[in-house]
Amino acid sequence: MKNVLANKKAIALFVVPALVLYTAIVALPVVWSLYYSLYSGSPGLKWEFCGLDNYKMLFNDKNFKAALIVNVKYIAVVMFGQVGLGLLLALMFKFWLKKFKTIVRTLVFFPVVLPTVAVGQLFAKIYEIQPNYGLLNSLLDGIGLKSLVQPWIGQASTALGSLCVMDIWVAMGFYSVIFYGALLDISEDVVEAARIDGAHGFSLFRYVLAPLLRPVIITSLVFSFSGTVKMFESALALTNGGPGNATKSLSMYMYNVSFSYSKVGYGSVIAIVIFLICVIGATIIGKFDKKD
Amino acid sequence: MKKKLLATMLSASMIMTMAAGSVSLAAENTEDPQLEKTIKILSIWAEDNDNGVLIKSICDQYKEINPNFNYEYELVSADNLKQKVATLAASNDLPDIFVYEAGKPIVELIEADKIVDVGAELKTLGIEDNLNPSAVALLKNLSGTDTIYDLPLGHNVEGFWYNKALFEEAGVEVPNTWDEFEDVLKTLSDKGIQPLAAGGSDKWGVTRLINAYAVRTMGADALSKADQGEASYTDEGYVAAAQKIQDWATAGYFGEGVTTVDMNTAGTMLMSGDAAIFYNGSWFTSNLNNESENLAGADGIGFFNVPVVDETISPADEYSMNCGNILCFSKDKYDEASSYFLKYFVENIGNEAMEKQGSLKGYTYDVSDDSVSGYTKVVLDEIGKAQSAFTWWEATMNSETSTVAQENVQTLLNGDMTALEYMESIQDAHDMSAL
Repeated sequence: MKNVLANKKAIALFVVPALVLYTAIVALPVVWSLYYSLYSGSPGLKWEFCGLDNYKMLFNDKNFKAALIVNVKYIAVVMFGQVGLGLLLALMFKFWLKKFKTIVRTLVFFPVVLPTVAVGQLFAKIYEIQPNYGLLNSLLDGIGLKSLVQPWIGQASTALGSLCVMDIWVAMGFYSVIFYGALLDISEDVVEAARIDGAHGFSLFRYVLAPLLRPVIITSLVFSFSGTVKMFESALALTNGGPGNATKSLSMYMYNVSFSYSKVGYGSVIAIVIFLICVIGATIIGKFDKKD
Repeated sequence: MKKKLLATMLSASMIMTMAAGSVSLAAENTEDPQLEKTIKILSIWAEDNDNGVLIKSICDQYKEINPNFNYEYELVSADNLKQKVATLAASNDLPDIFVYEAGKPIVELIEADKIVDVGAELKTLGIEDNLNPSAVALLKNLSGTDTIYDLPLGHNVEGFWYNKALFEEAGVEVPNTWDEFEDVLKTLSDKGIQPLAAGGSDKWGVTRLINAYAVRTMGADALSKADQGEASYTDEGYVAAAQKIQDWATAGYFGEGVTTVDMNTAGTMLMSGDAAIFYNGSWFTSNLNNESENLAGADGIGFFNVPVVDETISPADEYSMNCGNILCFSKDKYDEASSYFLKYFVENIGNEAMEKQGSLKGYTYDVSDDSVSGYTKVVLDEIGKAQSAFTWWEATMNSETSTVAQENVQTLLNGDMTALEYMESIQDAHDMSAL
């Protein structure tokens, strides 16, 4: 093995194909976007060099700021919701559920395999208010909470929250399975020893399980972060970015700017911002990993 | 020697120009020479749906006249149409014929010199008269040109459809003036009937209402003035129009959660008697004519034009009209063979549409329209009454401004944005898009 790894040609043989592929499909488009961001218009139609004008435009663009805020809120809520509830579910599977463990696990995991558009349609029906009350409003109406009946996805104050609930519901099963796997890996002896030392409930989790689960938590956070930063299809399916731009994310705004407004240059600038958010976010999460 | 060379070059270029000119002359009053050609058509309707049926049937009929003619039919969703055409235009690969949107979108293609001057071609081919003059005027108006660069695929009138039974139940008459209209809405609401259904989730169903009031109070050119900078979207009249719709929403005229209702659901609500009035275009007749869908029956729904505020500003015989999606011909693919097809298309689509669907497409027709259904007849009568036309809210806006105008209308309805803020957002987008 040592011989193989000492041979630079052998290393090249393993690395180069993947590197070429990565460069072609990841690095090159990023560089391409950088180049595009210096132009105004759409390639082929009014495509002119405009220097840094697109970057200046970014600072005065109210819609960009609105989309950025929506995106940040969404990441914060959905990322912690997915990972947090996933972890709670996994703990429930391991320590609390004795019967029907498999059925419950399957049920919780089930939404992961559903297509996003179908989930969007399903929740649109759940939140429905006109012409008929959907499941949620019917329930509220039925238990005498008529005052809470409202157009959940039709008003800015509740639309983003409703979307977050949907996306947390979809993905928490996925994280619960990851955490459950990690919990099974923790030796029973360790848990037993902690119990003898007096650790129960929250203290058992806080001082014994959480430190052992840390690498998995970090990985899950990175997964969830990269999934939420590109927020697009679920919002498109449930609210189409509305009402107004209450659920319009950066990627949706980038899509509009590039393809509906024919401003590919400015769209590229927004793409670069998304890229930077990814890099910064991943770096911050990575920092927690290196602490010890 | 140099002079001689120059003279030769000049005469050669003249001959080439003449030869090029003769391409468009070729199809004039001559037998179809059965030229070989495969035409690519990009459409938003499947071949068994709406205009797709007509396009396919015209192509198939033309194939019988010219066996050397072939066509490839490509479908794209309406949402992706502009993007698809923009991409194809950028790569100089526009299909021979493609469906597109009138108004601002087509102007960009005209400016980039990508599409055929259809008006000039029709003149050369001597078939100008096959187009309905008001449809042509509308298309010219929408592209802001003296000639047309597109063919209409519809000739629609828009207005308020109402449920006759609910009007009777509430004891109200069809309103002629805006004040009467407001009274009708109030009476309906007081009687516990939802006065209006609107497709707030599709957005355009609501911006049309703002447009209706804006045009009736400021005239048909109100929106184009704002677009050209002669007026500001934040001027009093525009804000008042937005305010009007917000007031209706606040008064509960649209029912609960209007921003979650789509146009289809809103139409169903009208037909099933859940709401009394619904703004939509004449294409709504396809739903009305469907017996299983229209619970109100063959005569249960009526139509009235947008009520008048001031006859001197916008008269009662002025209607909101449009030509639906339009058909463009790619300039670099257009040749003699295409011109024969264009000729056949324009000469036959009017009859085909009337015979097959009982609908107007913006062309003259000489088949009988007696057999058309009651609802289609209502539309034909209304179009007959129209003396002038106005366009829709977003017609003069570019896609950036239009997106903002549509998206924020939901916020306006919810009361999260004031009427002034709504109009400011449109003005901002308008200014921003100029950058």
